[in-house]
Parts: sequence; structure tokens; C-alpha cells
Amino acid sequence: MNENAETAKGTSAPRRIPLVAVIAAVVVIAGVLAVVLTRSGDESAPADVAQIRPVTVSGTPLPEYDATADPDPAVGREIPTLSGENFSGTPVRIAPNGKAKVVIFVAHWCPHCQREVPILAPDLREEPLPTGVEAFAVSTAVNPQAPNFPPSAWLESIDWPTPILVDDAEGAAAGAYGLSSFPYFVFVNADGTVSSRVSGEIPVTEFRSRIAALEK
Amino acid sequence: MNSDAVTTFFALLALTCDAFVLAALLARATRRRTAWWDSLVTMIGPSGLALAAVIAVTATLGSLYLSEVAHFPPCRMCWYQRTAMYPLALLGSVAAVRRDVGFALYGRVLAAVGAAFSLYHVLLERFPGLETGACEVDNPCSIVWVRHFGVFTIPFMAGSGFVAIITAYALAAAADRPEETSA
Repeated sequence: MNENAETAKGTSAPRRIPLVAVIAAVVVIAGVLAVVLTRSGDESAPADVAQIRPVTVSGTPLPEYDATADPDPAVGREIPTLSGENFSGTPVRIAPNGKAKVVIFVAHWCPHCQREVPILAPDLREEPLPTGVEAFAVSTAVNPQAPNFPPSAWLESIDWPTPILVDDAEGAAAGAYGLSSFPYFVFVNADGTVSSRVSGEIPVTEFRSRIAALEK
Repeated sequence: MNSDAVTTFFALLALTCDAFVLAALLARATRRRTAWWDSLVTMIGPSGLALAAVIAVTATLGSLYLSEVAHFPPCRMCWYQRTAMYPLALLGSVAAVRRDVGFALYGRVLAAVGAAFSLYHVLLERFPGLETGACEVDNPCSIVWVRHFGVFTIPFMAGSGFVAIITAYALAAAADRPEETSA
């Protein structure tokens, strides 16, 4: 290579980039990397456990929860009876049975549920509910495409301490209790009437104070 | 190819967009001391319109894949970002074919609006309590459908696309002004 050519090369202005070639290279590299990076982590095995199960509802459904309604029209009304199963297939029944109760509706994909449930679980484990009060969770709005699926694994990983009722594909249990958003709490007096309802993340202190307000 | 591989592919493209934007920002910031900005304008500026159009079309196809093939339902914020990205794909392509550098200004405005929605959507994902303390039954914006490499969620990828489009249009506009490169 002669000296003139080297000088010319050293001082040459930057050239226009061949856009098509660059884009093609980026696409090919990204495509290959995407395949390589996801090959070992191929779709996780589908859950063996049924994430939706039949639910039987009897009784009058509660009106849909409206946070702005004061007073809540559901207060004083008797809860409908829910009969279904937990993730293992064991029957679970939520019904007026002489015991006060709290029913907590959760959706696995809901970020607010994902924040609330890990806070409530240890509290329920470490501080038992008052005598005569029982608690249930209802897993509803299951969507296999959505994040944090399956709900059975999620609740198991958190070591959720109460019986869990698994809602059906149509959300019969959630509909019967007037669910309008997640997470959703229904506090029930011992006579089977609604004491209060609330939706969204609530502090443990509020959770406990609503339980303390139940007529046992 | 499963949806995980496809979304990883789009995350890698978004990462490339971010690298491009960071390089341009660095070049711009050191413009008085280095010739990097001038080099970028010379190398990429003449293709800036086409590059912006390619990014917008790719982002549009990606969003259609997510909703129509992967069946991730678009939320309210997703739709706001779509209203910015889809016109960029259509009109940006026309501008690229016609070499209409005048569109670079309108394109940047549209992309800036989209980027603002992307930023807010990312914040909603990060802080779900920003709008409300509860999840709506029908597809709240705070759901994180996809997350790659720790940060690349769907609105983060869209935001990467928007800022890359802004950068490409900025380079196209700079290349159209001779004083930009001769300074």
C-alpha cells in the first residue's frame, strides 16, 4: 500500500451507513440471541392442577361493590352460599354457618394482590383470628396468558394459611359477591350478613379492625 | 417460536434502540470536543427518515403480535401509545419514501407524546398504586405481561422505540441543515 493511499484513507470523511445491511444484521443477531436465550427456558410445563373448578352459588347475589356508595347497599344482606373445591379438589363451602368470616378475592395477575397477599399471609399465620372468625381466599379471574400463573403455585409459594375456594371460568363466586376490582374483601357477621366490604390494598391494621368490628 | 422468544427478540431490538440513543446523546453532549455528532449526522442522518420509519413499523408489528397472536390485551395506556406509534409507521413511511425531511418535526412531536405515555405506563407498572389501590377487573395498566433483562416491559420497549425515532428524526433534520455538520 503506498503512502498516498494511506493518507487518503486516514483523512477520509465518515461514510453514510448502509441502512438495510445494518438493520438486517441487527435483526439476525437479535433473532439468533432470542432463540438461544429462550431455548432452555421453553414454556414452563403446564400446571397439573386445575386452576378453575366448578362453583355452585345459592342465595341472592350481593350488589356490585361501589367504593363511592355510602352506605354500602350490601351491608346487612345475607351472603350467598358458595360451594366448590380448593386446588386439591377438597370441597370448600362458604356459607352463613353461625361463624363470622372474611372472604378475600384475589387474582394472580393483579399487582395489588401480589403486594397484599404476601403481607396478609404471615399476619394470618402469626396472629390467629379471634375465636369464632374464619377466613377464606377465593382465587378468581384466572388467565393462563397473564403473569404469575398458575395461582395455585403462587399461593403455595406464599404459604397462604386459609382455605382457598377456586372460582369457575365465569367467575361465579366473584360475581355473586359483587366483586368489581381486586383484591376484594367481604367481612361477614356471624349471622351471615355483610358487615363491610372493601376493595384494593388495605393495611393489616385496617384488616384487623374490620375483623374486630364483626358481630361474633 | 413461542411468545417468550418473540418478546425477547423485541427486547433485544429495544436494547439496540437504547444503545443508539445513548450513543447519539453522548455524541451530542460532546459535540464541541469531538466530531462524533458530525460523524453520526453524516453516517445516519441521510437515512434518518427511513430508520425512523423502520423502527415505527417494527414497533407497530410488535404491538399487533402481542395483542393478536400472543393475546395480551392492550390496556388504556397501551392504546394511547398505539395512537402515537401507528401514525408514525404510516406517515413516517410515506415521508421516508418521499424524502420529506419536513416530517421530522411532526414525527418528533408525535413520538415525544408517545414517549411520555410510555414513561407514565412504566411508572404505573413500577408503582401500581400511582393511579389506584385496586386492579380493575378488565385489564389494568399496571399488569406486567412481559419483563426481559429486568427492565424491558412492553411500555419500556415502546418508549425505547419512541426515543429512537426522535433521535433518528433529529439526525435526519441535522443532515438537512449543512451548518449542523460544518460547525
